[in-house]
Amino acid sequence: MKSKVMKAVLLASVMAFGATAATAEGKMIAVVGGKSDDAFFAKVKKGIDDATLVVTAHGGTVNYLQLQTYDNLGGDAANLVRTAISQGASIIAVPDWVPDAQDEAIKAAQAAGIPVILYNAGGADKARELGAINYIGNEEYTAGLAAGAYFATHGMKNVICVNTVPGAQNLEDRCKGVADGAAKEGGVSNQLPLPASSFGDPTAVAEAIKATLLKDTTINGAVTVSAADANSAATGIEQAGLTGKVALASFDMDGAGLDRIKAGTQLFAVDQQPWLQGFLAVSMADAYINYGLAISNTPVLTGPGIVDSANIDATLAGAGAGYR
Amino acid sequence: MSDPSHKLSIGSLLRRPETGSFLGLAAVFVFFTIFGGTNFASVSGAASWLNVAASLGIIAIPIGLLMIAGELDISIGSMVPAGSMTCAIVSGHFGLPIAVGVVAAFALGALVGLVNGLLVVRTAVPSFIVTLGTLFAVAGLTLGLSVLITGTTSVSIKAGPEAKFLLGHFINGIYQVTILWWIAAAIFWGFVLHYSPYGNWILAMGGDKVSARNAGIPTERVTIVLFMCSGMSAAFVGLSQAILYNSAQVSAGQSYIFNAIISVVVGGVLLTGGYGSVVGIVLGTLTFAIVNQGIYYTPFDANWASLIIGVLLLVAVLMNNTFRKMALSYTPSRNPSRKLK
Repeated sequence: MKSKVMKAVLLASVMAFGATAATAEGKMIAVVGGKSDDAFFAKVKKGIDDATLVVTAHGGTVNYLQLQTYDNLGGDAANLVRTAISQGASIIAVPDWVPDAQDEAIKAAQAAGIPVILYNAGGADKARELGAINYIGNEEYTAGLAAGAYFATHGMKNVICVNTVPGAQNLEDRCKGVADGAAKEGGVSNQLPLPASSFGDPTAVAEAIKATLLKDTTINGAVTVSAADANSAATGIEQAGLTGKVALASFDMDGAGLDRIKAGTQLFAVDQQPWLQGFLAVSMADAYINYGLAISNTPVLTGPGIVDSANIDATLAGAGAGYR
Repeated sequence: MSDPSHKLSIGSLLRRPETGSFLGLAAVFVFFTIFGGTNFASVSGAASWLNVAASLGIIAIPIGLLMIAGELDISIGSMVPAGSMTCAIVSGHFGLPIAVGVVAAFALGALVGLVNGLLVVRTAVPSFIVTLGTLFAVAGLTLGLSVLITGTTSVSIKAGPEAKFLLGHFINGIYQVTILWWIAAAIFWGFVLHYSPYGNWILAMGGDKVSARNAGIPTERVTIVLFMCSGMSAAFVGLSQAILYNSAQVSAGQSYIFNAIISVVVGGVLLTGGYGSVVGIVLGTLTFAIVNQGIYYTPFDANWASLIIGVLLLVAVLMNNTFRKMALSYTPSRNPSRKLK
């Protein structure tokens, strides 16, 4: 009798210590993600929150583990994966931003018997290599190719790719894609990497772009790796007196960018439909752990979609509803 | 510190706190004029670093004064976007007059500064830790309230012509009007630090807080007022950016923390407090802005930008340190009884 009580106490304490959320009745889906004050990840989070309704209906929970800063992206994301392991997650959805730093943690999760879904960053090849269930998101390189080709076929043959976080694999792939996509159509694209001291200071980003455009007057296209940077780039182009001569584009988009596309001062935006990434990552994770369901296509691509003057009105409607 | 009875000589000029920072500024300016070509020295090139320096400079001066008084405020990293979002939510989302949004942003800055100041003087926890706490707390509040109120993390704002003229237009199409506000702030703070009793109090507090209090200086009140000023300065930069760029984002401003501290230190303020000048901070801010933006005018590959920024800032600080040492170790030979502090 006494030993039974002891066992129960021991068991309870082990469960409380190691696996609060992974109790018998509900499965816990851990989602590693970016800061939710990041306009892009706010939409991913909205998709996650919407999918959580289904998870809750199935008796499970979703735990969103977010980065506090982007200063040490790979290392911090790897630590969040390890946090998810120690919390006893049933499945982990994680963007593979910096594979060299994160792959070890992802393999550790799988070694602990926790399946992994890659979303947002990583790609199909990485998912296969790591044995992840699937990859949901954009292929950054493919998106870059589309942007580069769009520029070149519309007459912009010398394009800069403004990178405000040089070294992040997904952004490097975008810029490499732009360069290769432009090259295929007879254009050329170079990367403009900005130091960390400029990140988050719109004036510093705008002035850096202005200076670059003034230095090389053959540049007639600029693409930014984020929607907020495109707002800075628009000011930079205007300050250089090159509005109408240098075409602007952005990866991802926000209200101000969509207004520019509507007004004709921005050529296009490459959308990867972030809401879908969060929504599909969580609902597929839920379907997989509860019922063994999996989509047979790898990867599940949510982009690239080009938003330009042709489809701007429908996109604006989606933006108004908070999904784009 | 600035004794008008001093005779103006080359020696006394060299020993002023801002001489080192001026030489640092001159060095980086010459560097980029040589390597940056005609565009860097042009009016448009000057706008590149003046625009960046202006908003940074408005924050750097009160941060510098806090550092001279022996404190630090890193919550400005959150106050910039908080001021931005407050103005955009009040005047953009709710459509109230822009003046109401501006006042609300200032009030928030003053409130956060008041909380910082009260916590620092009442708890004696180092201000770095206190403001680290408010840095995260304000960031969380800004995000939480923005999503709660507007459902998004980025709010657009259309300012009227008067507000645009005062806070968000480009003079001659290239110079941000913020530059004039920066000049006004520098004159105001220069007067406070160098020509008002507050200035001597601030310097004395950074030198030795206990002695300063024993000498009858209201150290607690001065500390709280300084924190409120840095909060309001950050809010001002935030709201003017919202009006200038017609939109406000929840996360934009973390880089101001480091950049402001760098500008202040390059400007000759001692990290340990008790020494520094407003002119020095202004020169330090200009130095940082030139180094940060000048690189894009040079033929160097932008991949090396951070390296060049780091090396040039070190050179500027080392140059500065040499002169500060000369100034601090100087004893006038003719009048050995007089001490220079």
